[in-house]
Formats: sequence, structure tokens, C-alpha cells
Amino acid sequence: MLHWLGKGLTTGIKSSAYPASPDKNPGVTPGRPVATRMGPDMSQFVADRCPGHCFTPRANGVDVDYRTCILCNRCRRDTPAVVHWEEGYEWGVQMSAQSVHERLNSAFGRSLHIRFVDAGACGACMSEARLLNNPYYNMHRLGFFTTATPRQADILLVAGPLSDAMREPLRQTYDAMPEPKRVVAMGVCAISGGIFGKSFASAGGIAECIPVDVVVSGCPPPPLAILHGLLLVVNRVPPSSLASALDAESGP
Amino acid sequence: MNAGNFFNLFLSLGVLGLAACIVRKDRLRTIVITVLALLQSLALVACGILIQIHQTPIHVELWRLGPVNLSLYLTPLGSLFAVITAVVFASCYSFAAASHETKAGTERRANRTFLALFQLFYIAIILVIAAGDVLTFAFWWEVVSGLIYGLVLFEQANVRSVRAAYSALAMSEVGSLAGIVGLLILAACSGHTAFAAIAATKTGPGETARWLIFLLTFYGFGVKAGLVPVNQWLPDTHTVAPRSLSPVLSGATLNLGIYAIFLVNMKLAPVTEVGPGIVALIIGGLGAIIGIVYAATQTDLKRALAHSSIENMGIVTAGIGAGFIFWQTGHTVLAGMAFVAALYHMTNHSFYKALLFLGAGGIEASTGTHDLNKLGGLSRRMPAMAFLFLVGTLSISAVPPFNGFVSEWLTLQSVLRSVELSSRSVRLCFVLTGALLALAAGLALTCFLMIYASGFLGMAHSDAAQEARGAPRSAVWGMGALAILCLLLGIGPTYVIPSLDRVVSPITHTQTAEALVPNFFHVTRESPGHLNPGFVSDFHDLGAQVGHRFLPGRGLVVLHQGGKSNPVVFAMSTAYTLVVLILLVIFAYVIFHGLTRAREAKRSNAWAGGLPRLLPQMTYNFTGLSAPVRVIFETVFKPLRERTIETVGGHFRTSIRVEERQEHILDRVLTRPILAGLLWVANHFRKMHRGQVNVYAAYVLLSLLVVLLIGVGGF
Amino acid sequence: MGKAQLQRTDWHSIAAALAERFSAEARMELDYGRETWIVECPPGRLRDIAQWLRNDLGYSFGSLVVEQVAAGWEVTYLFPESTGKGWIYLVVRLKEGDDTLPSISDLVYAADWPEREAEDLFGLHFSGHPKLGEFVLHEHWPEGVNPMRREFAASQEAPRGRSPLPLYPSPILEAPGAMALPIGPVFSDFAESAQYILETTGEEMIRVVPRFFYKYRAVEKIAEGKRAEDVLLLAERFSGSSAFAHGLAFCQAIEAISKARVPRRAAQLRCLFAELERLRHHSSHIAAICGSTGLDVAQAQAAIIEEELLRLSCVVAGHRYLFGVMCPGGVSLDLNRHALEEISNRVANLGERLLALHDGLRYSSSFLDRIEEVGVVSTENARAFSLVGPLARASGLSEDFRVLFPYAGYERLKVQVATEEEGDGYARLRVLFREATESIRLIRELAASLVDGEVRAPVEPKPGVGLGTVEAPIGAALHWVRLNEEGRVVRYRVESPSFRNWLGFRIALEGFGFQDFPIILATFGLSNAECDR
Repeated sequence: MLHWLGKGLTTGIKSSAYPASPDKNPGVTPGRPVATRMGPDMSQFVADRCPGHCFTPRANGVDVDYRTCILCNRCRRDTPAVVHWEEGYEWGVQMSAQSVHERLNSAFGRSLHIRFVDAGACGACMSEARLLNNPYYNMHRLGFFTTATPRQADILLVAGPLSDAMREPLRQTYDAMPEPKRVVAMGVCAISGGIFGKSFASAGGIAECIPVDVVVSGCPPPPLAILHGLLLVVNRVPPSSLASALDAESGP
Repeated sequence: MNAGNFFNLFLSLGVLGLAACIVRKDRLRTIVITVLALLQSLALVACGILIQIHQTPIHVELWRLGPVNLSLYLTPLGSLFAVITAVVFASCYSFAAASHETKAGTERRANRTFLALFQLFYIAIILVIAAGDVLTFAFWWEVVSGLIYGLVLFEQANVRSVRAAYSALAMSEVGSLAGIVGLLILAACSGHTAFAAIAATKTGPGETARWLIFLLTFYGFGVKAGLVPVNQWLPDTHTVAPRSLSPVLSGATLNLGIYAIFLVNMKLAPVTEVGPGIVALIIGGLGAIIGIVYAATQTDLKRALAHSSIENMGIVTAGIGAGFIFWQTGHTVLAGMAFVAALYHMTNHSFYKALLFLGAGGIEASTGTHDLNKLGGLSRRMPAMAFLFLVGTLSISAVPPFNGFVSEWLTLQSVLRSVELSSRSVRLCFVLTGALLALAAGLALTCFLMIYASGFLGMAHSDAAQEARGAPRSAVWGMGALAILCLLLGIGPTYVIPSLDRVVSPITHTQTAEALVPNFFHVTRESPGHLNPGFVSDFHDLGAQVGHRFLPGRGLVVLHQGGKSNPVVFAMSTAYTLVVLILLVIFAYVIFHGLTRAREAKRSNAWAGGLPRLLPQMTYNFTGLSAPVRVIFETVFKPLRERTIETVGGHFRTSIRVEERQEHILDRVLTRPILAGLLWVANHFRKMHRGQVNVYAAYVLLSLLVVLLIGVGGF
Repeated sequence: MGKAQLQRTDWHSIAAALAERFSAEARMELDYGRETWIVECPPGRLRDIAQWLRNDLGYSFGSLVVEQVAAGWEVTYLFPESTGKGWIYLVVRLKEGDDTLPSISDLVYAADWPEREAEDLFGLHFSGHPKLGEFVLHEHWPEGVNPMRREFAASQEAPRGRSPLPLYPSPILEAPGAMALPIGPVFSDFAESAQYILETTGEEMIRVVPRFFYKYRAVEKIAEGKRAEDVLLLAERFSGSSAFAHGLAFCQAIEAISKARVPRRAAQLRCLFAELERLRHHSSHIAAICGSTGLDVAQAQAAIIEEELLRLSCVVAGHRYLFGVMCPGGVSLDLNRHALEEISNRVANLGERLLALHDGLRYSSSFLDRIEEVGVVSTENARAFSLVGPLARASGLSEDFRVLFPYAGYERLKVQVATEEEGDGYARLRVLFREATESIRLIRELAASLVDGEVRAPVEPKPGVGLGTVEAPIGAALHWVRLNEEGRVVRYRVESPSFRNWLGFRIALEGFGFQDFPIILATFGLSNAECDR
């Protein structure tokens, strides 16, 4: 027993400094494409090439829609014109003005219980969600805790494209949560169905079943992005957006 | 009207009740019999109270049979038992007299013969208590045993009930034989058969005779009281008994055994050695633990209650044993305390066990079953019954402010007083018994909470429970009366202890009430009476005088004083605790209501992990709840498990059958080896019988030779 | 004789034996390129041949592929030989309108779940199988609608309309007070959605019936009609924790169809990334085992190792889970010398920390108490149910596809297979540590010996059918792909190692108490996403 105590103490503190200061360690995020200037032919080529149809070709470049971007890297490896990528991780987006709840922030801002529901998520989203309490990210320091019963949960964190058999359980979990409650959809699958899209077996996103307040795009979103989404629910960080447009970008 | 008149009134009403059984019309008969029974019990209670107040027993000479005078002699001790019996019968009579509809819709009319025998049973029990000499006692004791046999067999003639009734009768007869022999030895030693005369003799029996009397009566009458190891008849009999008989069997007849043991060993031939006390103490402790361990694992409600009766009788016996030891070593005040505690527990047990058995009877009347695995959710279907059963559960689990708490607490405190004894080995016995009693108390709480939860809470586990109608009103009224008594006996120990003291002090010749209930209502700082003034003022500051303006009696605090270094040995007040509890509940409610006024409560289905439908078989039943007890005490149960698995296609299982067979620990450890030993001896004696005439002729010759040698030779 | 020649001799003796026993009824031909025998057999002889292959010749079971063809049904049973000699495909053809086959699940236990899946999704009936129905498609799905049939379009809505059954699966325990306690589908903190019914009379789990396919996303169906490179995205992402391995199996299938040759450097890089993924997966698995017993410090230590590997993958390959690294014909990125050195040094450091962790765990008796002799899968059961991966290797089997059917660059690497005998939770933990250490050794060997060259060769889409097999972190994975003339996928079948190993889960659980359930679940370390597809 002393051995483990010593081990823990000598390992030191590994927690990320986010959100107090940005985390610049290499490898914390895969990054994602941003709107890039290029010629109209190239824009069309890039837009056709993307398997998720994330790019909207414009006259002077491409805009990016993050609702379907699965981070396949083809736009920067397989194309002659390379699309620029950003190395950020603040990917949480509010879906409506009611998403950020004042009372939730003041009353529960530093003590929130999360119920995670797997609505068909692949192992990557499950793994990133489990890493939330890893020594590097340590969501407990931010006041987030997990609970096994929705009766005590404030936030419902859902990953997966909502497989048909999980519709009813997800609906029951949502109904079992008391007010105030908020839903965070993590991963592109939970937003738009991801590569599974809409079919008889996949509903194409959890908004088909329950109202969604915050979405975190990415495939999978790294733990810091999920933390950004959770902090966004309690208004502790500014939101990001679901798209990247050329006019908004000041890049080359 | 004096006590004797009331007793005659009781007997006459009893005869009237017998006659009333002839009435054909059901409703009329029910009403008449119930009213007569109530009046009868009231008369008996009045009689008992008068005897206790005036401290003069009823002494009636009946007939003279040869050299023996038959008489009735109802002492204050007997009057306590009579009052308890009266209350138990009064609460059960309407249930017995009313006709119950079974689930199938067919009327099950209370059989008139049954009611007649029931009335006879009532009278017989009272006459056992009131018996004044050995012959009367023996006669009515046998009548009671015979009536138990007859009544148990009454409604069902299946194999189980026949076997149960027969084993009860057989064991009871052997016990009666032993007990009566003991009484005869006592009568022979003292030269009288009348109890009053025996009690008045100066020189009692000699040492060996006393031991013999104790062993014979303790074993003999212990069978009726349900003491270990002769109580194998109890669970079976109480389970198969008709639903209105079980409360009486548990609430009234078990006390007869205690009455007899107490009578013989404290009144007629008071103990002069430590031995009997230790025997009673150990047997009580063992009974308590074995009873409750088995009660916690029985899926049949009535069987669980029967095993729990064994536990409670064990506690009573342990208290009596402690009293014997204190009496013999000269600590008469402590002896009085122990006896008061034991009799208090016996009273409480009669009331709450009758309450619980009435509940079981009511459940059986509306659902048709008393298998705990098939019940569930009954609190929604029969809310009044559920509430009253909860009162019974809390009482038997020794939860304040109900009565079980007071008597168990007093018993344990008496056992703890063994520190004042000098002999180390005796103290060791006390410690062991105390540990067993404490463990039994904890297990009792577990057991009854599991029973209540699986019977009344959760989902209904069978159609019978799902479609149960309300409980029969006759049962609910009786339970209500008993529940009120449970509460009163719980918050009013300061009234009960002086009454019990009137029963015990003629025997111990000390005033226990003084030692246990200080007169806080009537003493002041200026005139403290027996207590020292500083003590009085401390307790008055604590509020021990609250209520003295409108409540009679000595006070509401039970307190035992010690010496200089330890002024208060133990103290408690359930009445004040109840008041504080009520205030706390009101306070909490007000605060909660104030804090959540703005909120809206949302109701939805129970959270079941996302299942489409939660079925009853997916929820815990009694077997599941009691699994930890079964696992922990596996060495006691030693079950034989057989698992049969049927497979198809190599690895597809189509059925898994698990059968478990258990032999009761007492059977395993005692009965079977003894029987095996007896059979072994008998087998060896069988060799004598060869079946040939020459051999028998040789035996005759041999015995003639032996007789001649003895008679003529003068050996 | 060369290996191929030696094998051909073996094959001829098998062919001779087959001809002798089943002469006119079974037709066989050898596909030398794939080292596979294809045996055409009538439905009537299916059971006999399957039994002969399994019991007499020692073949294991690979998968069951159902394809709807113009003339009816073509059902292929894949049997790999358990010492790596090759594969035998049993092909059974059914005419249009006839959809009954004899079930082989009593002879080959591992065929139980594939048959149930085929019955649910295709509507084929396997006569003699005692438990068909409600396997993939749960109660609300109406009878007679089979989504994998050609007539059913993937994009349509799921049909609704049946009222739920009383209790699925129906309880079979007969004992006084028997209960059927449900766990899930939503349970624990981060558990995957699945349901387990525990039949019990109290503290002991007497019978456990797991129920999966709550995460069924119909990967095999939505892949139909797509181009290979789009289906590669599906292959990677249906089980993100073994993304690279499944992507590799798919690409190998495509390359087998086109007979494309992958450059040597690409093959070596494929091995390196696969071992990196295996190392990360095993670290995550070790963390889960420590966490399930409550040993949080050990869990944190293993989780630190896992996160460092994820960050390393992200730095060198652009994605934490190696998405997008695989592509048909090679890999999509190259690693320079600096990157290779970085990888080599970092995994060496992590290797030391793993050994230190193992030492700490070895002497934590309270931890060992919870996993030793708990959740035992005996060698006989592992063999009978054809379990795969570290789970099977902890129960005494020594089959590893990296050694049996080497792929990518594994032919030139000598992989040491870690085997333990006891089959309990501690044996599985030791196998994980040993395989992780072996992965580190392989990574360092590959990083030091990478040859120069291209990392990608062009692959022309051709029609045909191919099978890609890899040893994924959880066990052997098979991807069967059939392409048409346009290079689009006609049929895509995945047999995942979790799908195989979940079959053996209940064996490990039965007889233990409730408190051992999460621990045994953690020591198995299987993935529902991989099983349900």
C-alpha cells in the first residue's frame, strides 16, 4: 500500500493547465481544417474529394463545415492544394440561446454531475471520454463528476450516431434527469451521424431524439475539446463555431 | 365487585360463548361471539388488575378427590399471564369469528365446531394459569395440549399438517410427563399438593431433589415454551395452524411454559444454586441466536415468525436465568430487575407477535399465500394493514419508541449488571450470553426489515399479490388495538415497570420500581426523598419533571442509580424521545416545505437502466435479500445443493435446476445422533429376540434364578 | 522444398482424404495464390464435412459469409488451419426461394452467433439451432423484414410496430426465489451499451445471458455500393480503438483482389503502426483492469502511459487513434529518421515504466486477490469456443495470426507469442504485459531496420473477392470484401475478435458473485462497438 502511495506522490502533478492557460503540449489535439484561400478549380476539387462533404467551394477558397468533418486527413495529404489546419481544441458550440443556463452556472458551476450515454459510439469516442479523468485532464479539478444514475445528473454527455436500439434507452435516460439539465453531444456522429449517416440502423445524430444544447465536433474530439464543451455549458469559456468561413478568417 | 366476581363473570361469559356457537346465521353469530369475547376479556382484565392492586390472590376450593384437594389459585403472577392472554384473545377473536372470503370467491365459513373449541381453548389456558394444585394443573395442561392438536388439524387434513400436529402432540406429551413428574417430586418433598401450601412450607426439597425438579420442569415445560433444543415442533405447528389460531399459539401458549418454569423455580422451590440459572441463561442465548438465524432465511412468512418466537422466548429465558443467578448470589434488586425485564419482554412479545401473525393471516386471506417470494407491493393494496404491520416490525426489531426496545434494552442492561458478581466463570457465561443476545438483536432488525420490504414494498411478485384485495377488517381492528398497546407499552415503561413489580416483588421481596423508576414527578430539590438533592436538581434541569402536572405516576424516566463513582448506571426515557422525535419531524417538514416551495416535483417511472419494461422477477425478492445471511451462516445451515443442467446442441442450456435441502442444526447435532444412538442400542437388544422358544424359556428360567437369588440369598 | 511447395503436398493429401470420404458430393479446387481450398458442398453434407475439418483435421472456425447472388444464396464457411497451413472455404449454394441450411453450431460452437446473425439479417433459417431470433434486431423489429437483403434499402427508416416480448431472454433457472437481475443497457460510468441478465438466487451469478447489438450501425449494409476508399473510412471507424488493425485488414483484402504488391517500407511501417496501436490498446486495457479493482494509483500510472502513446501517435501520424494513416497500397504518410528515433526512445521509456508497474502489481496482494482464480476460462472451453487473442492465449492456446498467417511485414519478424495456462484474470493481465513488452521490442526493431523506398503503391480497382486477416489488439479479425467491375463494394463482411470472444464471456462469469462482474468484464477487455458493427 505504501508502494502505491509513494508512486503516486513521486509521479507529481500532470494535470493540464486548461482552462486557466492554453495547453500547448504536442499531441493533445489532432487539429482540424480551417477555411483556406485557393483558386476556384482547386476549391471544387477539394470539395469533391472530401468524403464528408465538409467543404463549401467559394470563388476564392473553401469554407469548412465542422458538423461532418471526420478528420480523415485526406484534404491535407491527398490533394495537391493543401488545406490549412489549426491546432486548437476549443470546439464546443452552443446550439441555442437557452443552452447556457444562468442558474446552472451560478448554482452548479463548480459541481456538475455527468451521465454519459453510449448511443453507438466507436471505441475512439469512448476512449476519449474515459480519458477525461486521466491524470492529464483530471476533470474533477474543474468540478465535473460522473454519476451512474441520471437522477443525480445535471449534464447528459452522449456519443454515437444513435443506433436504433439505443433510442428508447437514451430517451428514458433524458426523461429520468431532473431539471435543470443540459445535453452535450460529443463527436461528429452525435451531431450528424458521421460516416454512418442516416440509415435504418442509425438515426443520424442524437438531435432526432432529445434536444441538444452543446455540440463538440471532432472524430473523436480530444479530451480538451470535450472539457471545452462541458465548460461552455456553465458559461466558463467562450463558445466556438460550427463552421469556418473565409471572411471570418484573417489567414493567407 | 371483587376479583373473584370478575373471574366468575369470565367463566360464565365463556360458557355463554360456547353456547352461542350453535347460532346458525353467520353475521349474527359473528357479532354475538365477538361481543361476548370482548366482554369476557374485559372481565378477565378487570379481575387481573384487581388482584394486582390488592395483592390478594383468588383462592377457590373445588372438589375433593380422595386425598387431593382440587383448587383454583390465581396469584398476582398468574394474573399477569391472564391479562396478556385476555388481550391476545380479544384482538384475535373477531378475526376467528368472522367469515373470510377466499380468493376463489368461495365463502369459507368459520366452522362452528372450531369456534367452540377455540372458546374451550381460551378457558383451558386461563384454568392452567389459575390452577391451584398439581392435579388441576396437570389436567388442564393436558387439555391445552390436546386442544392444540385438534385445532391445528382443523381445517387442513394434508400430510404436512398432520405430521406437524402429531409431532407437537408427541413432544408436548413427553414434556408434560417430565414436568408433571417434577411437580410430583416437589409435592412429595413438601407433603402437599396445593401450590399455596407448597409455597408456604419452610423447608423445601433437598439439593438433589431441587436439581431434579429444576431439570424436569425446565425441560418439560420448556417444550411448551419453545426452548432450544426441544422446539422442533414449533415452526411446523405455527406454520400449518389456521390463520386465526397462530396469533394465539404464539401470543398465549408459549407463555404457559414460562409461567410454569417461573412458578416452580421461584415461587414453589426457589433456586439455591447458580447452576439452574446458568442453564437457563445459556439455553436462552442459544435459543435467541438459532431462532433468529433461521428466521432470517425462511421464505414462508409464518415460519419466519415462528422461528422469531423461538428467539424471543430465548431472550425471556435468558432474562429469567439472569434473575435466578442474581437471586441466588444475594443481589435481590438486580434479580427483580432481571425478572421485570423478562416478563416485560414476554408481554411485549405476546402483543407484537400476535399483531404480526394477525397480519400474516390477513395477508393470507387476501392473497391466498404467505410465501414471501410471491408477495410484494401490498402497501398500495392494503395501506392500513401495511402501516400496522410496520408498527409490529418496528416493535419486534426493538426500535424506539415502541415496546420491543424497552424490554430488550432492559434485558441487556440486566445482563451487563453481571459486573457486580464475584465469580469469574459466572461472569463469563453472562458475557457469552450477552454477546449472543446482542447479535440476535441485530439480526432481528435485518430479518424483519427484509420481511417487511419483500412483503409490502416493491413490485408484486405474483398475480395473487397483484390482485390482492384489501385486508379483512376484522384483522385490521385487532391489529390496530395491539399496535396502540405496543406504542403505549413503549412510551410508558414507567407505568409498566411498577405494575410488573407488583407481580415480582412478592417473590423477590424487594421493590424494583424504586430502583428503576425514580419519583421525579413528586420530589423536589427541597424534599428529595430517597435520592440525593444534587442528583434531583441535575435531572430536573434536564427536564425530568416535564409533564408532572397532568400525568399520574412517578415520572417518565427509567434510571438505575449506582454508587459514588458512577451515579447513573443507565437511564432512558422513551416518552421524551417520542416527543423530541415528533418535534424533529415537524421541524424538518417545515424547513423542507419552506425551502422547496418554489420547486415542482416531477414524477416518472423508476430508473431501470434503460429497460423497456421492468418486470417483478427482475427485482429483489426475499431469497435475494436474505442471501448474505445464508452465506455468512453457512456453517449453521450446511445446505446440500444439487444442480442439474440440461443442455442441447453442445452448449445451449435449456434448464438449470437448483435444489437445496437443509436439515435444522438441532436435528443434525442433537436429534439425529440421539436417535441413531437409541437405534443402535435397540438393535443390540434385538439380538435377545431370536424367535426360538427354547431361548425364551431359558430367559424365563434365568430371571427366576435371579429372583430366587435376590429374594432368598438376600442380596 | 519451399514452404509453398511443402504446403501443396499437404494440400494434396487433404484433397485425397476429402475425395475418399465425400467423393462425388464435394467438389474441391485449390486457389494457389490465396493458399486456400475451396470446397463446394451440398447442404446435406455440410455438417459431416464441418465435423471432419474440426475434429479430425484440427481446423478452427473463421467466419460465415452470406451473399445474396442472382441464383439464390452463396454461403461460405471459412476454416483456418490452427497451425497456419492455410484456409478451407466450404461453399454452400442455395437456390432462389430455398433458405434453409443445417446448423453446425453444436459441432462448431463458434458458428452459433454468426448463424443467429445471418438469420436475423438475411432471413436464412438454420435448422437445428435452438436459439434463433432477436439477436441483432431487437424486439421492436417486425418478423420477416431482413435488412441485409438486397431488396431492403439502407436509407429507409427502421420499421416499428411490434409490442415488446415479456422477457427476453427467457429465464431458465428453476429454484425457489430465482431472480433475473438486469444490468444495462445504460449502466456504470463509461461502460459501453450492452445488457446482461443475471439469473441468480442471491449472491451468485448462476446463469448470465449477455445481449448485444445495441450499437448496431449496419456497417456491412451501408458499405454496399461505396467505393473502396470510402469503405476504408467505415472499416477504420466502426471500432476506433483498433482502427489501424481493421483498416489494415480491409486494405489487405483490397490488395488481395487486385493482387497489388505493397512496397517493403510500407509493409514495415504498417507493422510499426500496428504494434504502436497494440501497445496503446493494451495500456488502456491494463488501466481498466486496475481501475475495476479500485487500485486507482495503478490505473493512473497505466493511463499516463496510454495518454503519452496517444500523443505520440498524434505527433507522428496526425491523429491520436491513427485514423487516416492506412490506405490501399501502403500507408498515407512517411516517417523520417527523427520521427523514428523519437518513437524508439519514447516507447523504450514507456517500456521501463510498464515493467515497473507490473512489478508493483505483482506484489499487491489485495489486487491479486480480486483477479486471481476469478473469471476462469479453461483451455478446453477456449478451444471449444474458438476464442482468439490475448484472452485465448491466457487460457493456453497459442494462436496468433502474426505467426500463423503472417501479413504486412511480419514474415521477417520473429514474434514471440505470450501464452499463460491458468485462464484467470491474472493470467490475462500477465499476457497483456508480455505482449506490450513484445510490441515495444518489435517497434524498436522496425524503427532501426526500416528500408528505404516508397510508402505507397497504386491499387487498381478490380472485381473479385479477397480476405484480409490481421491480429488486432483484441484478437484475430477477418475482413471479406467483394468488389464489382466499377470497384465498388458488393459485399463486406467483418468477423471481429470481440464478436467471437463475447461468446465465451458467460463461461467466465458463471459461478462467481455479483462483485466480480465488473472485474471479469474489465479483464476481458472486449469492445461492444467492434462486436456490434
